[in-house]
Amino acid sequence: MDWFRRNWRGLSFVGGLIGVWALVAALRLVDPIILPAPWSVARAVPGMLRERLLADIGMTLGRVLTALVVACVFGIPVGLFLGYRQRAYKVVEGPLHALRSVPASALFPLFLIVAGVGETSIVALAAYPSLLVILVNAVSGAALANQSRLYQARLLNLNSWHTVSDVLFYEALPSIFDGIRTAVSYSLVLVVAVEMFIGLGERGLGRGIYLYQSSYRIPETYGAIMIAGMIGILLNWVVTKAQNRMLRWLPNVREEQ
Amino acid sequence: MTGPALSTHSALELEDVDFSYAARSNGINGALYKDFSLRIEQGSMVTIMGASGAGKSTLGRIMAGILTPQKGRVQRSPDFTRPSDLVYLDQHPMNGVFPWQTVLENVRYPLEKLNWEGPRRRDRICYLMTLFRLSALSDVYPAQLSGGELQRLALSRCLSCKPKLVILDEPFSALDGKVKAEITSALHELALKDRMTLVLITHNVSDALALGMRCIIIAKRPVRVMSDLDFHLGFPREESTPDYDAMQQALINGIRDGLV
Repeated sequence: MDWFRRNWRGLSFVGGLIGVWALVAALRLVDPIILPAPWSVARAVPGMLRERLLADIGMTLGRVLTALVVACVFGIPVGLFLGYRQRAYKVVEGPLHALRSVPASALFPLFLIVAGVGETSIVALAAYPSLLVILVNAVSGAALANQSRLYQARLLNLNSWHTVSDVLFYEALPSIFDGIRTAVSYSLVLVVAVEMFIGLGERGLGRGIYLYQSSYRIPETYGAIMIAGMIGILLNWVVTKAQNRMLRWLPNVREEQ
Repeated sequence: MTGPALSTHSALELEDVDFSYAARSNGINGALYKDFSLRIEQGSMVTIMGASGAGKSTLGRIMAGILTPQKGRVQRSPDFTRPSDLVYLDQHPMNGVFPWQTVLENVRYPLEKLNWEGPRRRDRICYLMTLFRLSALSDVYPAQLSGGELQRLALSRCLSCKPKLVILDEPFSALDGKVKAEITSALHELALKDRMTLVLITHNVSDALALGMRCIIIAKRPVRVMSDLDFHLGFPREESTPDYDAMQQALINGIRDGLV
């Protein structure tokens, strides 16, 4: 109930939107082929889940999460190292930003050639821009680290490894989380788009949306789109929770309750 | 290191130091320090005073080796074998702690890294936490502390590993009288117990009088020592005694001279 009291404004806004939607459908203001009624969407969902959608959701989530894990595992340490060794960063800075400017989707054919047609290509496509954005955020977070605390690391004779793991990592953590947030949306967008238009594998939310749409099952199409949106919200919520937990020492960040 | 040997009782010597910051945007570009020399004796409690902007913190950072002078020598006593024998505490106490560590972790971390083991480490932590009245706060993060608590934490962290020379930059600004008195007496106790040399940077006369045995007043452009006063007065110092008033007057005169 506490949760309800805190979120009633947002909830009532969403409720209002659905209300308007229901009204439009009830008064038949829009052709149901373009905009089906909320209740027909709701009625379609259980059948969809039984039919194929649960497997689709699992597949998409799996791909997105794998991409994010890969991006973090490589992006965070390399970014911190480059932030620590500014001279090394100066060398790779230009190429890095050039790479970041290439739209990831344009690189997909390359990934297909290198990694072949299959899971690896999809995950690599999503991992690639995610890794870059997390890396760049880790670099800038580490580069902005508090000089007085780095001075303390020198006083205590910390070696490079401990300077990075005990000081720079925490100094950069808020910025790393900003990167992860961006990476989450990149990965989801890219995975769903690739599933939709490039017939790799038969499963995935994007595939589901596309198949429903191409067979004119409009309520199901809407349902699948909304489920994709909810997955986005869910992933964001998980990242926020992790962020609040890991940054609970920051001023103005408190764990809820 | 070459050059004349350090006098036996010096903790730190600055000799003919020149220092200026790289081009500043306001166009003032002259040397901040020119042929500046200063000697800090071992075991002394020295206060460095000067108007705001006079270069007090810069001096502290030069002494600590954070800033390197363009010319001249900064020599440490050969007794200072580890980097952590000479510590500088920034005037913003949050810079002196790791905000991602709790109070206890903050006090423990330097000792852990310097390989203080077992009961020796435990005793030291316990002593400091009691002295600076932090025991009840051990699981709290720095961001949740009050200004006075945070300052006490920063001090106990920087003093935990028994440094031989401590440079404290404005450790009492932003503290009220009562807290200030508490911290002063804790610092005094610790300085005597650990035989620390203490350099206190401040712009406040009563802060200078609270701990100083010697007070150096600097004036700027280029920075020079305006007055160098010795105070012979026991601790704790009572205000409004004739001796205290005389010291205070001497200091105020010194500062006034520095401003002209």
